[in-house]
Order: sequence, then structure tokens, then C-alpha cells
Amino acid sequence: MTLTHYLALGAGLFAIGLFGALTRRNVIGILMSIELMFNAANINFVAFNRFLHPDRLLGQAVTIFNITIAAAEVVVGLALVLAIYRKLNTVYAEDYNLLKG
Amino acid sequence: MIDHAYLIPLVPLIASIIVLLFGKEGPKSNMPLLSIGAMGFCWLDSCSILYKALTHQVSMPYPAPSLPWFTFGDYPVSLGLLLDGPAVFMTFVVTLVSLLVQIYSLGYMHGDTRFKRFYAYVGFFTASMLGLVLSSNLLVVFACWELMGVSSYLLIGFWFEKPGPAYASKKAFITTKLGDLGFYLGLLLLFAYAGTFEIPMLAQRASMGAVALPVEVATAAGLLLLCGAIGKSAQVPLFIWLPDAMEGPTPVSALIHAATMVAAGIFLVARTQFLYAASPLASDIVAWVGLLTAFMAATMALVAYDIKRVLAFSTVSQLGYMMLGLGVGAAGYTAALFHLTTHAFFKALLFLGAGSVIHAMHTNDMREMGGLSKKMLSTSVTMAIATLAITGFPGFSGFYSKEAILAAVYGHSPLMWAVALLTAGLTTFYMFRMMFMTFAGNPRDIAKHDHAHESPSVMTVPLWVLAVLSALAGFLLSHTGAFEALVHLPEASHGGHHPGFLLWSALAVFAGAAGLSYWLYGRGDFAVAADLKAKMSPIFTLLENRYGFDDFFLLLVKGSDVLARICFWIDERIIDRVFVDAWGLICLLLAEIQNFIDTLFIDGAVDLTGTVTGWAGGGLRGLVRGQVQEYLLYVAMAASLFAMLTLIH
Repeated sequence: MTLTHYLALGAGLFAIGLFGALTRRNVIGILMSIELMFNAANINFVAFNRFLHPDRLLGQAVTIFNITIAAAEVVVGLALVLAIYRKLNTVYAEDYNLLKG
Repeated sequence: MIDHAYLIPLVPLIASIIVLLFGKEGPKSNMPLLSIGAMGFCWLDSCSILYKALTHQVSMPYPAPSLPWFTFGDYPVSLGLLLDGPAVFMTFVVTLVSLLVQIYSLGYMHGDTRFKRFYAYVGFFTASMLGLVLSSNLLVVFACWELMGVSSYLLIGFWFEKPGPAYASKKAFITTKLGDLGFYLGLLLLFAYAGTFEIPMLAQRASMGAVALPVEVATAAGLLLLCGAIGKSAQVPLFIWLPDAMEGPTPVSALIHAATMVAAGIFLVARTQFLYAASPLASDIVAWVGLLTAFMAATMALVAYDIKRVLAFSTVSQLGYMMLGLGVGAAGYTAALFHLTTHAFFKALLFLGAGSVIHAMHTNDMREMGGLSKKMLSTSVTMAIATLAITGFPGFSGFYSKEAILAAVYGHSPLMWAVALLTAGLTTFYMFRMMFMTFAGNPRDIAKHDHAHESPSVMTVPLWVLAVLSALAGFLLSHTGAFEALVHLPEASHGGHHPGFLLWSALAVFAGAAGLSYWLYGRGDFAVAADLKAKMSPIFTLLENRYGFDDFFLLLVKGSDVLARICFWIDERIIDRVFVDAWGLICLLLAEIQNFIDTLFIDGAVDLTGTVTGWAGGGLRGLVRGQVQEYLLYVAMAASLFAMLTLIH
């Protein structure tokens, strides 16, 4: 298992997440896709840490922070989605266009 | 107090400024008391100076300290006092007359809406005159001279709501300005030659003879200064303003005629006497101007019906007398200034008396008066005293001063003496005519006569004071030799002997003129006088038209008016058209071109920027459709683009 394998996994995961974020209509799905992209980044951090600087823990520390922040982000995101749903009665992202120019 | 003589002009000046700027205006204002108090102080001051001078406690001219004023090139100009005999007497007369006039005005001006302002003006007027009298510097004399012009303008036009006073004040101001021009030029000429404005230094220079002051310069300067005196002292031909100046309040007339203004011209000629002594021609012209004025004014007074105009012509005539005296040498100098002093008393008295009559009758026209002696005892008696004084009745003050002038004139030229004597007769005639028409006989306007009453004592007391002075001043000052001791020229011979027939002829003329006056006007009806007037109407008309001098000057004014209209036409039709309007057109054309460029290019550029921005906005708008996933797509595309660019490098 080399660094390339991990990076390929991260890239694949990021691509899946990006595809999902761009194509899902359901806003919950978009949030979940964003989580995928987060985790792709986390895999990269951990992999770089492991293969480039195994004597240090910087990448792992950043990953722990990321997981925490992602959790907080999901909380805020879901709360926003809930608030928008109560107002507009829909979970489809294309209907969220109140600010369009 | 003599060391603080500079206070004499300053105190009334400050008082008048205070009166003008502070205090309440109105008929009941008590600010006039301040003005009267200031003048009283000055009078006491001048009394003490006069007393010291008369008792020889101080020598004249008194060396008063002077103050540096400014330096003109290398020539220092200083503010100083010249306290000599004439100045001391004149100060006394001016302060006394002004004080009495101001007290009198408490009654005369009572109830006037500009009561306070009147006093401010009168105080200012007197202060200017005092400054003129006391100053040793001809430049300061000139400044005071002009200040007096201003205050006379303000006072003659005091009732400026009425067209008459407004016109008269303008006339007085402009007419005297005509003479002032000469004064100023003379001043410059003197300065150019002598390099100083100080009168004593100029006199000293003149005394050094023709080397220090050429005769031509003395003549020219003397004649130019005489122009100023002719304007101010109402001599021929500039006397025209004085009769019209009667439009002012009567106390002002008294002040102008007795103490200030007209006395200034005589005083100026007396002050610069050294010029005339150096130039026989200028001296002769002074004498002839005086004689001509005295005679012409006396004849004009013969036919006047306005009581104040009679007095005005009489003043002009008496001023002519003084001028005549000044023109005939050293004896005449003393006599003229003596006459100036005594004349101040009786002329002030005559005007204040006339004011009292006008106050009672509400008319100036003597034809509507008559029989007032019973109703206005104080006024009529005091005016009778003044009349005796001015006509030269023996014992009264005018007798001494007039005789002195006549004697001096006789010593100079018997021909002039004859004319002067005739003028004295005319004076006697018209003064008695005035007295008869006003006070004697039966009332001619019953309604006005019934309304008349004696003036309050605030007005009659000044009359009595002046009456006492008119009666006694001549005797006191002449017999004791007090006046001559203080006012004389170095070269004058004391106590010259005069032929006895001078006195007798004067008395004969007096008696004849008074008798003629009684015959024509003193017997109730004026039938003889009216008959005479009808027979000699061309002469009467000529005299009533004042020898056409008014018309002549009016013609000058009209001429300058026409000139002004021509200038206006040139200005409007040529200068305006060619220079102003054409320039305007060129500017307009340039502006149009600029406007075109502005609209086309500058505005176009501005508009283009806006339009392009609009288009760009409209086009980009299609990208922003409010779909969050589209935005995300743009972000992803941009990120990919940057990633690819990074990888390519």
C-alpha cells in the first residue's frame, strides 16, 4: 500500500462527493455529499502525515479538528435546512432561490 | 487750564459721539444736557485762558506742546495748538455762542423726534470749529474745515424729510466744496514751497521776504486759500448757499452765522494773513471781494421778506466787511477780527431772536408779522439792542468794530470807504425795516398774531445774555484796548488818528438810513414802499433774483448735467455696445462651442461607460439564477481550472 493508493482513494471519494453535491436535489443529500468531500480531505491529511512525516502528528491533529468542525457544521447546516424547510415547505435546493438577482 | 487747551475741541467731540451712539433718542431725551455740560466746560476753560491772556499772566502766542502726527518723506507733520490772541478770542466766542445756542435749543427744538441727534450734530459742528481755530497746522485746519462742511450738511438738512432742507443742504455742501478745492490746492502749493503746514513756521518764512517766499507763490497761494474762504464765508460769487441754508433749524443758523462755518473763512484769511501781507495783489483782491460782497448782499437784503433771509444777507454783508478789513492792512486786520467777535454776539442774538419770533408765529414771512413788540417783550427788546449793535449806533458793540473797519478802509482807499459807508447805510436801512415790519405797527395776520406768545425763559435768557454782550462788548474791549493788545500785527501802529468827519459821516448815514426806513416802513402802512417798488420793479426783480447768481450757477449745473447726459449716451451707445456687448457675444460663441464639445465627447464618454456597464450587467445576470448548486458548480469549475493551470506549470 503506497501513498498513491491513499491519494487515489481520497480523490475518488472527493469526486463522488462533488458529483453528489452538484447533482442531488435533496438538500440533505447535498450536506451528506459535502461530508464525503470533508472526509476525502481527511484521508489526504492522514496519508501525507503517515508517508511524508511519520515522526510527527500534525496531519492527524488537523484531521481530528476537521472531524469536530464538520460535526459542528452539520449541526448548523441541518438547523438552517430545518428553518428553511419550515419556511418554504420543501427540501429541494432549486426552490431555494429567494436571493436570485 | 491753558496747558490742556487741546481739551477744548476734544471734549465736545467726545460728548457728541457719546450723545450720538448712546442714550435714548426722543423728544424727552436728556442726552442734550451732556452736550451742554461739555460745552459749558469748554466755555469755562476758554474763559480762564482769555482771563490769563487779558491780564498778561501768559504771553501770547502761548507755546503749547505739540504731538508728532506722521512723517511725510523728510517732513514731520505734527498736531499742535496755536494759542494766540485771535484764537483765544475766537474760542471764547465760539464756545459761548454754542453754549447759548444749545441752551436755547432746549426750548426751540423741544419735541423734535431727533432731539438727541440735533445736539450730537451741533456738538460735532462746534468741535470742528474749535479744532480749526486752535490748530497750528494748516492740514488739521483743512480737516476741521471739511468736518465742518459735513456737519453743516447734516444740520442744514436736519429736517431732511422736507424737500427744501434736503436741497439746501446739498447746495451748501457742493457750493462750499467748490471753494474747498482752492483751499486744498493752496495748501499743497504752500507745502511744496515751504515744506511745512505749521502756521508759525510759514509766517516766519514769509517774513523773510521774497527770497524765502516768492511774491508769485504768495499771490497764488493767497488767492487759492481765498477761494476756500469765499466758499465757506459766503462771499461773492459763492454766497448763494447761505440764504438757502436758512432751511435748517434757526439755532443752527445762529451757530453757522455767528460762531462756526462762515467765521471759519474769515479766520482762515486772518490766520494766513502773512501771505496777503507778502502779496499786495492778493490783498487787494481780498478787499475788493469783501467790498463787493458787502454791497451786493446789503442790496439784496433790502427786498427780502423772509426774516431769516434778511439776516442771512446781512451776515453775508458783514462778512464782506470783515473780508474788506482783512484786505486793507494791519489796522484792518485788528478791526476785522474785532468785528468778527462783536458780530458773533449780535448776529447770534438776531438769529435766536428771529427763531423766537418764528417759534411764536410759525412763519418766516415778515409781511404776516407786525405789532409783536407788545406780545414778545424780551424778544423785541433784545433784538432792538442787536439791531442797534449791527447798525453801529454809538455805544453799542457794532459801532466800535464797524468804525474801526471804516477808518482802516479810509486809510487804504477813500473810494472803498465811500462804498463801505453806503453799505453801512443800507445795513441800517434794512435792519430797521426788519424791526419795523416785525415788531412795530399793527398785526397784519390776526390769527397768527393771536396765537403768538413770548418764548419760554430757556430761550429768552440766552437772548438777554447775548444782548448784554452785544451792547457792552465793543465798549469794554475797545476802550480798554484789550482786544487790540492781543490781536494785532507786528507792524501795526497803535492808536492812529482818524479824521473827525469819519465818525460824523457815519452817524449822518445812520440817521438818514434809519429815518428813511421809518418813513417807508415804520408808519403802519407800506403805501410809499409799495409805490416805490412798483416804480422801480426792474431793480427789485434784479435784487430778488440775487443778481442772477443763482441762475448762473444753476446754468453751470445744467451745463454739467448736459455734459453728463452726453457722457452717458457715449457710455451706453458706444462703450456698452462695442466693448461690453461685443465681448459678451464673443464669450457666448466660445461658450456654445465648448458646450458642443462637452455634449458630444465628454458627456458621450460618460454615457458610454454607463451603457457598457449596463450591458455587462445584463449579460452576467443570466449566470446568477439563484441555484445554489450552479454556484457550487462554478466554484468547482474554477477550482479545477486553477488546479489544471497549476499542474501545467
